[in-house]
Amino acid sequence: MIDRLIDLAENRYFRLFLVGLVVLSFQTTILNDMRPFGVCLQVMLLLAASSGLARGSETGAAAGFMIGLMYDMVLTTPMGVGAAVFAAVGYLAGYAHRFVHEPNWWSQMVLAAGASAVGTVLMPIALTVVGVEGVLTFRVLGIAFVVAVFNAALSLPFERVCRWALTEPRVVR
Amino acid sequence: MAGKTFTRRRIILLLVLSSIMLVTLDLRGSGSVNGLRSVFGTVFRPVESVTRVVMRPVQNVWHGITNYTEVVEENRRLKDLVAYGEGAKIGAVASVREAQELLALNGLPSLAGINSCSAQVVGQSPSNFAQTVEINRGSECGIRVGMPVLNAAGLIGKVTDVFDGRAVVMLLTDPSYSLAVKVVNTPPTTTTVPGAPVVTVDQSTTTSTTTTTTIPKTTTTAGIPGFTPGSTIPPTVTNPSQSTSPNATVVAPTGTGDINKPGSANQSEITVPAGANLPLRETGALEGRGISKPPIIRFIENQPRFGEVNIGSPVITAGGASSLAPPDIVIGTVSRVIKRSGTLGPLLEVKISANLDALNFIRVLLYQPSTEKVNAP
Repeated sequence: MIDRLIDLAENRYFRLFLVGLVVLSFQTTILNDMRPFGVCLQVMLLLAASSGLARGSETGAAAGFMIGLMYDMVLTTPMGVGAAVFAAVGYLAGYAHRFVHEPNWWSQMVLAAGASAVGTVLMPIALTVVGVEGVLTFRVLGIAFVVAVFNAALSLPFERVCRWALTEPRVVR
Repeated sequence: MAGKTFTRRRIILLLVLSSIMLVTLDLRGSGSVNGLRSVFGTVFRPVESVTRVVMRPVQNVWHGITNYTEVVEENRRLKDLVAYGEGAKIGAVASVREAQELLALNGLPSLAGINSCSAQVVGQSPSNFAQTVEINRGSECGIRVGMPVLNAAGLIGKVTDVFDGRAVVMLLTDPSYSLAVKVVNTPPTTTTVPGAPVVTVDQSTTTSTTTTTTIPKTTTTAGIPGFTPGSTIPPTVTNPSQSTSPNATVVAPTGTGDINKPGSANQSEITVPAGANLPLRETGALEGRGISKPPIIRFIENQPRFGEVNIGSPVITAGGASSLAPPDIVIGTVSRVIKRSGTLGPLLEVKISANLDALNFIRVLLYQPSTEKVNAP
């Protein structure tokens, strides 16, 4: 039983799930209430982007899917839309990171901001595709800008957390 | 390298297919998706509650910094409003009681006869694209999906998800929201001044009176002699002192020519039936348009009798056997009239009376339309 628990704790996606639960609780409480410029900051989106930045596009896509699915569970929008968008954001962030010759703190911030902005714009597009009306307006651009700026500011600690959570378990020889 | 590309493609394909499957299942109303949401809610709620408690001081500091000036200003304004409202309330309560008694006497439904469940808003949607709030009462209170939700100012939305101890309310502004409503339009009024040809003749004394008479905008159907919708045109002079009816007597506009032609009658008198100056009601469908746009009302018929919709006309729920809300709940007022050509009726923008940005205590009416009630065998 204990061995199973240890195995579970060593699973990197389980660790990310736990991190996701905590971040989601921030998303639905304090960030939901504090709305700078009338915009709800999207730290779940940042978590997906940071996963891609920390561990590459494939891991970013899978982690983004999981984080998006968790977010879908508390939203009333069709389930799976957030998962698809966040997976795309995680993949995109990891893919773009490959092209950075010497990654440093500001390149991480720029990539996190870009991925967050893309995710914020993709979300209403995806919702429109599945039949939700009235979400694709010019206001989305303003939201994307605010989300990108704040996510850039928070990207460094999030990247560290994702790097820790998504570490491969050590092989005992 | 080829193997890695294949793995990557496989992962992406798997994720895309999973997303499509989930979206399809959810849009088709699969019970498994709702079950999954419910299970996740059970795991997530304790974490959320702890975070809420821990972060409350931070939230208070934030609100203290960002909202202080507005709160002081609002407090001052609200004190004025309370003073004004106290006076208006006494008259309103008396009117409501009378109306409820009348409705009860006639066997008509009223809000007073509907049970309700009071609740508090504990959260709103963390998304920038959904207009929902979460309340702290659920199925244990008798709340069911579809029930109307209102606060002190009026209707705010309807219940879309119910769990044990919580429920999700879709706000009026959500693009998926739609409801049958009535627009109460006050017809244009005509005021006559002393000396104008509004004269009431009495046998004993002659008195000039100032009368305010409301005449609905009328049209005359050509070809039907003497017929004017909403009014009668008696060919003889009416003597009010001999008449026992409460009808008002006014003089039609002076014209020349054929009496049957609109506006061409010569000093013929129009007897407007009592109650013709009552506000007219027209039904339409209220639809939300997202957070940045006010809801609109469609399908308002362009009836001449109804007249042009005035800005500020009240909008209330229409009710009906299949409507999710009982009749006569205040929604708001008409804020803009968008005219359309042809037989298309106007589009009406609605200013919602409830402040959806600052919801706290709300009331869920435990109302189900007769078409959805389960009848006993």
